[in-house]
Amino acid sequence: MIKHIMLAAIVIVIAIFSVIQIVSEKVPFLSAGTAYAQDEWKKEFDALCSETQDAMLMSHEKLHDLVARCDALKPRIESLDESQRKVMLKRLKMCKDFYVYVLQSKESK
Amino acid sequence: MKRIVLVVFVLLTVTTVTIAQTGLKKRRPLPFEYGKVILNNYSEKAGLAPVVFDHWLHRARFTCRLCHVDIAFAMKAGTTGITASDNMSGYYCGTCHNGKRTFDGKKIFESCGIKYPLADNKQCARCHSLGKNVDRKYDFVKFTEGFPKERFGNGINWEKTEADSYVTLVDYLEGVTIQRKPLSIPKDITVEPKQAGMPEIIFSHKKHAAWTGCELCHPEIFVGLKKGDTKYSMTEIFLGRYCGVCHGNVAFPLLDCQRCHTKPVEHDTSALLR
Amino acid sequence: MGIPARLVIISSFFLLYSTAAIGRDKPVPEEYGRVIINNFSSRAGLAPVRFNHWLHRAIFTCRLCHVDIGFAMQANETKIKADTIVKGFYCGACHNGARIYSGRKIFAACSTKTVKPEERKRCDRCHSVGKNLEKKIDYTSFTAQLPKQKYWNLVDWEEAEADWLIRPIDFLEGVSVQRPALNAQKDFSITSKSTWMPDIIFSHKKHNEWNGCEVCHPEIFPSVKKDAVKYSMLEISGGQYCGVCHGRVAFPLDECERCHSKPVAR
Repeated sequence: MIKHIMLAAIVIVIAIFSVIQIVSEKVPFLSAGTAYAQDEWKKEFDALCSETQDAMLMSHEKLHDLVARCDALKPRIESLDESQRKVMLKRLKMCKDFYVYVLQSKESK
Repeated sequence: MKRIVLVVFVLLTVTTVTIAQTGLKKRRPLPFEYGKVILNNYSEKAGLAPVVFDHWLHRARFTCRLCHVDIAFAMKAGTTGITASDNMSGYYCGTCHNGKRTFDGKKIFESCGIKYPLADNKQCARCHSLGKNVDRKYDFVKFTEGFPKERFGNGINWEKTEADSYVTLVDYLEGVTIQRKPLSIPKDITVEPKQAGMPEIIFSHKKHAAWTGCELCHPEIFVGLKKGDTKYSMTEIFLGRYCGVCHGNVAFPLLDCQRCHTKPVEHDTSALLR
Repeated sequence: MGIPARLVIISSFFLLYSTAAIGRDKPVPEEYGRVIINNFSSRAGLAPVRFNHWLHRAIFTCRLCHVDIGFAMQANETKIKADTIVKGFYCGACHNGARIYSGRKIFAACSTKTVKPEERKRCDRCHSVGKNLEKKIDYTSFTAQLPKQKYWNLVDWEEAEADWLIRPIDFLEGVSVQRPALNAQKDFSITSKSTWMPDIIFSHKKHNEWNGCEVCHPEIFPSVKKDAVKYSMLEISGGQYCGVCHGRVAFPLDECERCHSKPVAR
């Protein structure tokens, strides 16, 4: 009887633990739980960097937000494979630096 | 003793001339050579000849922005660090040169598909061609026949070539370029030269942004936020910084002063001699 | 300081300031400005090229060849190949069998096909080092009426142009591109490093006649600001800066007073 209960308890604990791990992304082999799905980082990148041509007309807040989102995206890009990482980091840098540049020019006025 | 002094003198002058960068008039690249970039981060280590990239063919087809922003090529030879695996994964050259993407109805040849032996491979030699006598698919003279001519550099007025529709430059690559609204372009700027008597420079954002977009120059090349913020002179430009990043090797060369110094000086004619 | 040491110092100054003393006694008028070019000639089984400046400089400005056509200003630096010439670059800009000068077609230079023995005479017109060929235009008769410089009986090209004896051509159809002229800078003086030599008066006006701006700027003189580039007679004697032209093709450095012409204030 006690054996069964203990077994059940262990299984439940493992189940809860696994669920927590899945949710908190701490177990690397359970990759389904990552915050960005396969192509979502790309969608976010496209959304962020498609507005550089309007940067001069944006408000401070909007620019700050874009810069912050670029910073948030960077770790995801750093976890990509080598070739993709090289290219996308450079593209993200150019895009983020441009927003910072425009922000500084507005702030210095 | 005199002989020793003579020998020392000759050695001194020979050394100064050999290592001299200024004070000499060296060979100028011919029109079909202008814009050539040699890439050799890893080629020789892999047993291949260094890559010879002639800008003229690609610049007749694509904007600067497409390769240098969307595909993320650096603007200095050797600093991108392209590897064969990058190309095979579909980045850098491999973005187009993947055997699948088409241009003008034809498939673009695959770059860096591993086929041994590398050294004998004709396909590799299409790009890895330094020191080899490779038959180019496109001949510069035939390709640029009829294009509006200019002096120096490639000998072509690329601006007019595009304006007169001899070439249409592609600025969008499916799957690579981000869809976006058209660019709103800042006004032209007048830059006053430091040298009295030299015509002022009229910098046209419109002409540049059509090919470069914003991110190519700002903030990496031009970090100043307002006109007059960044202090630079022709010395830095000749050394390959600021305007010299492009107008040293690929865009029209700095030898052609009047291409930029176009606005006649109206004031103070005392320093001028006609 | 002992006498031998002083002798060494004085003699080294002489050596520094009289380049002509090294290697030869004095410039021979006919040979002055001669350039021997041999990047590829010997490898191709031809004699090296001998290019005498005097004929071309009587007809064209320096700018036309060294800017528009793009020749470098050092022997063997341009690396001219036969197929480049046949394509119409360098010598081939004029020497193409089609361009006319003085009512006659200019002979074509080079060939990319095998040259028949009877055609070799054409090659030998330029690939002439070591060959004793009859010159089409003789130096002595050509320059007989031209004014001579003070030393060495060299032609005074400046005087020749001022007297309208030569009218250098500055535009080549199909090669040159016309530009609105830039304003020439005023003449200015360059302070001589040595106290016993007068200051140099540099005349942009005189130089611009034949060079425009691009021959010298930015490659030979990279800065547009006076005194920004530091050089001395050592570099000049070695063929840099003023020495790119003077001492090789333009008047030699022996004639100090041609440049060091500003009277010393007492």
